[in-house]
Amino acid sequence: MRHLSKWAALAATAAMLPFTAMADTADGEALNNMEWDEIVELARGGEVNWLMWGGSDTINQYVSEYIGGILEEEYDITLNRVGVSDTASVVNIVLGEREAGVMDEGSVDMIWINGENFRTMQQADLAYCGYTDVLPNNVLVDWDNPAIANDFGVPVNGCEVPWSTAQFAFAYNTALYDAPPTSIPELLEWIEANPGQFTYPAPPDFNGSVFVRHVFYHAAGGVENLLGEFDQERYDEAAAATWQILNDIEPYLWREGETYPTTIAALEQLYANQEVGIVFNYEPAGVGINIENGTFPPTTQGYAMTDGTIGNTNYTLIPFNSPNKAAALVLQNVLLSAEAQVEKAQPDVWGTQPGIDMTRVEGEIREIFDAIERHPNVVPAEDLAATALPELQASWISAIEQGWIENVGN
Amino acid sequence: MIGQDGLWTKTFRYITCLLLVTWLVLPLIPLAIWSVARGWFFPDILPRMWTLDAWRYALSDTSGVLDALWLTIGISLAATVLSILVGVPAGRALGMYKFKGKEVIELMILAPTIVPGIAVVLGVHTVFIYLGLTNTVHGVILVHLIPTLPYMTLVMAGIFSNYDPAFEAQARSLGASPLKTFWYVTLPAIMPGIIVGGLFAFLVSWSQYILTLLVGGGRVVTLPLLLFNFATSGRNDITGAIGMIYILPGILILTLTAKQLSGRSGAVGGFGRI
Repeated sequence: MRHLSKWAALAATAAMLPFTAMADTADGEALNNMEWDEIVELARGGEVNWLMWGGSDTINQYVSEYIGGILEEEYDITLNRVGVSDTASVVNIVLGEREAGVMDEGSVDMIWINGENFRTMQQADLAYCGYTDVLPNNVLVDWDNPAIANDFGVPVNGCEVPWSTAQFAFAYNTALYDAPPTSIPELLEWIEANPGQFTYPAPPDFNGSVFVRHVFYHAAGGVENLLGEFDQERYDEAAAATWQILNDIEPYLWREGETYPTTIAALEQLYANQEVGIVFNYEPAGVGINIENGTFPPTTQGYAMTDGTIGNTNYTLIPFNSPNKAAALVLQNVLLSAEAQVEKAQPDVWGTQPGIDMTRVEGEIREIFDAIERHPNVVPAEDLAATALPELQASWISAIEQGWIENVGN
Repeated sequence: MIGQDGLWTKTFRYITCLLLVTWLVLPLIPLAIWSVARGWFFPDILPRMWTLDAWRYALSDTSGVLDALWLTIGISLAATVLSILVGVPAGRALGMYKFKGKEVIELMILAPTIVPGIAVVLGVHTVFIYLGLTNTVHGVILVHLIPTLPYMTLVMAGIFSNYDPAFEAQARSLGASPLKTFWYVTLPAIMPGIIVGGLFAFLVSWSQYILTLLVGGGRVVTLPLLLFNFATSGRNDITGAIGMIYILPGILILTLTAKQLSGRSGAVGGFGRI
């Protein structure tokens, strides 16, 4: 009898084994009430599918090799990095799944996201929320910082965690120009003095749109009046002045402003071929990466604006219908770790600024971070941070993009 | 007179051939150079620095290009075979018979080539979710049939509209079984069409992006997915390296079927030779 029950127990365990090993962790509510160790155990042996912009070999290598290596070795989790050229298509996958009633076996476990795409996910209720306190490394995140707690003006509300911070920066070719224009008014003068040497990608390109917002802030006499909910009256006032400025400089732009590049990649090509003299990007570290991989001339130098540039934070988000939420949480926790954040800040890895608050990190790892030598051609983060400007709410941004298309890009 | 005329056609043919080759090959040269360049700036004719970094990345495990190459070949071959299996009978029906609603059916078959894919892709995604076919290789193969079938069916319809079924009747009257008739009479006659249609089907499936991404849900990573990542981000070096790998199967298949595609074969000139 004892033998029999032993065998029965063994058989039952064996029968259950595949289920426990491949535990479905779609129930986010349950995870939110668990201890971290339990979540790690649930995640062990599983997989996580991370769909993210895949146009950079260095970022891909960091994610697949460094982060994927940690997941594999320490947690026995397989990281499946899927590169996409446009994050909006990932939002569409999740949206399509929700419309078709796929509530707990979606195909996306994590998205690299911010801004417009995050707003869409929030509005359609597509994000898994309320888990941030579960992550041990959440203590490193400064949620009191409004630039972290708000994603393009939309409150994060525990629906995503920061990965990196970025701040818009300009760059110029030191072989062609002695000194670059260091404020928006100076830049506008510079454009008129150097016909054909400047252009910007047409909004709604992400980077072109940010450039237009810099002019918008300038025309509005500062960003203070533009914060908060969209206001038609304040918009109309600043918009009229902005379109005036942008239409006035149009004849002095590349190809007399007859056409605009449609992507930041196109602008970078124009700059690389010396068709234009100034380039910009929301990711200042890109200058160093682009010099090292041969896209930019080595004489390129990034610089900050005295009247400030706009900064943002990018995040990682877990869709509501991810079946591998436990593994996705482990991945997020690894991404937030001081070690992974410092590795990411190394100029030959990526060189982007941490999403965590480095003052909360102590000991050896902090020393490594403080000792990082930035790429000599990348603008120092301190220079940028000294004059950081906030992003507007997404409703403002879409109004400005639409207004540009109607009044300038026509 | 006849000799002169012949010379003129010959010269014309060589010039056309040269133009065509230039037109096809010339754009590939910068791509090949970029794949081994470390920076290439105007006004340099050739890059100043050379590197194999892009190739090293393209062939690494991280990039997943080699896995994607085999997977894409498998998917495109399967989509081609299925297109042939569906397209040949469909083309025969459309090419040889008159029936009610034929125009409507022709229009529906043509629809995927007229309607922009992006407009229907979300609906297709929903349907595939309902059918439980998302995130699978066979789901991706099936969804590729939407853009490949119009080409296959239309080519076969053209072939069959010039096809004389009396040959089949003759074989049957001489005692051949239906299978034998198909194998020895029908198949050789329509072979050029199958090859041309199959080539279209393969290349159309080979270049699918948004259908693969949505229906594959990121689980099915084909070469276009990897290629577009870098093409859209302005990385000419890696785009060049992956692009070189990307065009290999196309060139290989084109070479293998070149004879069938030349003016001498029945596929282009109808059935004059049968």
